[in-house]
Amino acid sequence: MPREKVFASCAAAVADIPDGSTVLISGFADFGFPRGLVNALGASGVGGLTVISCDGAVPGPSPKISRLVANGQVSKLISPMPFPPGSGGVIEERWRAGRLELEVVPQGVLVERLRAGGAGLGGVFLPTSVGTRFEQDREKRTFPRGEAVLELPLKADYALIEVRVADTLGNAVYNASARNSAPVMAMAARVTIAEAGRIVEPGALDPEAIISPGIFVNRVVERLSARPVQAVPRE
Amino acid sequence: MPDRLDELATAKRVAAEFQPGQTIALGPGLPARVAEVVPPGAPVQLLSDGGVLGYHRIGVGGSATLDANGKPAKLNPGASAIGLADWAGMLRGGHVDTAVIQPARVSANGDFTGWQTAATPDLFAPGPAVDLAAGSSRVIAMLRHTEPDGSPNIVSRLEGPVDGRGCIDLIVTDLGVIEVGPAGLELIEAAPGVTDDDVAALTGAPLRVPANMQPMGFQPTTGNPPAKVFSSGLSAVSDVPNGAVVMIDGFAGPGGTPHYLLTSLRDHGARELTIISNTAGIARVVNFGTPPGKQAIDHTILIDNRQVRKAVASYPVSPSASRPTAFEMAYRRGEVELELVPQGTLAERLRAGGAGVEAFYTPTGAGTLIADGKETRVIDGRSYVLERALRADFCIIRGHRADTLGNVVYKGTSRNFNSVMAPAARVTIVEVDEVVEPGVLGPEQIITPGIYINRIVVRPPDFSPYE
Repeated sequence: MPREKVFASCAAAVADIPDGSTVLISGFADFGFPRGLVNALGASGVGGLTVISCDGAVPGPSPKISRLVANGQVSKLISPMPFPPGSGGVIEERWRAGRLELEVVPQGVLVERLRAGGAGLGGVFLPTSVGTRFEQDREKRTFPRGEAVLELPLKADYALIEVRVADTLGNAVYNASARNSAPVMAMAARVTIAEAGRIVEPGALDPEAIISPGIFVNRVVERLSARPVQAVPRE
Repeated sequence: MPDRLDELATAKRVAAEFQPGQTIALGPGLPARVAEVVPPGAPVQLLSDGGVLGYHRIGVGGSATLDANGKPAKLNPGASAIGLADWAGMLRGGHVDTAVIQPARVSANGDFTGWQTAATPDLFAPGPAVDLAAGSSRVIAMLRHTEPDGSPNIVSRLEGPVDGRGCIDLIVTDLGVIEVGPAGLELIEAAPGVTDDDVAALTGAPLRVPANMQPMGFQPTTGNPPAKVFSSGLSAVSDVPNGAVVMIDGFAGPGGTPHYLLTSLRDHGARELTIISNTAGIARVVNFGTPPGKQAIDHTILIDNRQVRKAVASYPVSPSASRPTAFEMAYRRGEVELELVPQGTLAERLRAGGAGVEAFYTPTGAGTLIADGKETRVIDGRSYVLERALRADFCIIRGHRADTLGNVVYKGTSRNFNSVMAPAARVTIVEVDEVVEPGVLGPEQIITPGIYINRIVVRPPDFSPYE
């Protein structure tokens, strides 16, 4: 059976990520967040990263992304809500100090830009931002259903995602809310690294139920200790 | 100070707005609490950007699925797990009936600003609010009538940039219900024990008060959603009018073609149809295993019945010059029009139609005849063609199993264009082998959520795709 996509450790899977990379990180309110890979990225000491995450509105980004920022490894963060109102922590501090660039993009626009990047489109006209502060000075056209703004695709060097089960070919399935932005991130990156709860042989996954086909997943690594799946709200 | 409704009572008042059969998208903050008052048996379904369509938050317990506040949701029978791109497409594509959001401020003309606080006056972080407000047919703003210091959250106008323009239809607060109309704000209900003067005094915009104001209603939504299961193919297509645009699923051969619905459409007889489909019918002229003495059912039956005016297709001709398709012959006779679209561009244009993308730049076809008459553009050194979204009045697709809510799973090649086509039509009709109760199809298994399916027809067990 092919094993070349299977990496022995998170550290090995992220070892070649160079300074200045654009890195997509999945997760929504900490569900589907690739903890092991992000820890390994933190430990690798790589810097100057542009991080794109779509981590849910209320809790703000995962503390693990804040830690990358606190480490000084992130130069730019693209997110629908880089920090929750009123409690910005290290991300707000760094941004105010001019040491972190922030780009705020509405959540649905962000995932559509990632999908456009992953699907090879040069841009998409979306109505979402029309009339809002997010329209800015971008190109706008009128279509039969109304106005739409040209949104440019987002692509990345690496995507770090969490999946429930992957096979050795990289085919992956998710668990409930852990799916979130991972399927479009997997499409949009040159190298997608999946942290899997379990790695199985090809054929073990039902072909009708695979969400991310292996063509989008370049590396898989098994989580060291699969934590039980449970909802842990952050109040 | 008047008594104010607590959050759950406000949520109940919001929920009283929902109509049977509707899909309601809840935003973070107060709106997420609406899931605590809409029970799993209610005739509406809730959508969370946490990745689920069809959930509630009543009682204790939860799952690995989150509501918009990142709290555990409980899945209703027939729930489907979705990703954020699906969530965004449902909103932008116009599939959500009502969105409930919590703005910071709302103006008398329905503009709003999102969660901005004194701590971050120079950074607006909308999360999902902009998508929710822009995409839904109706937007309810659920918020506290005033800040703790008494300053009003409903104002005459908002200075500076906004997060949504003219999109709020109804405002529900802890003091009352206010309709946003062309002539400004009208108080339609005040909370129990609250007078119209109380509300007006705490509103930062002129407020009209009707003479016979209703007491506040908290009635949960009752009634049944429209039944989706139809007794026959003919009854499911009976309202397809002449001149309709109809999408027809199918790859090439028999796999994934809604044969039964095709015969229903033929028997119904609507004319001057524009069909959008991968082929314009080649199964009949290519032997994909047709039994001797039989002919495969495909688009040919509509062409021969003179029901088609135009085809938008990627493969309208026969691979064999000696066996032309019915469409080809009609085209040569000048009886039908053709818009030729590369297969991948067809799928992407359909996906755009269903997901509310108006147009996109694709490299496919740049520098070829396909690009003639279309805008081309060089982006980062590569040539692209601007392609428009495709939408239709009706869509007929072939599924394997559906539940009564319209959630569909497919089998093998028969998935093909289904999943991008189903969301792109006003009325989508699925032909399946079997209809099951909600909950039989697992949430991770569902490929086309019921939000995209309007009608379900069972292919009769004795039906043959050959005639």
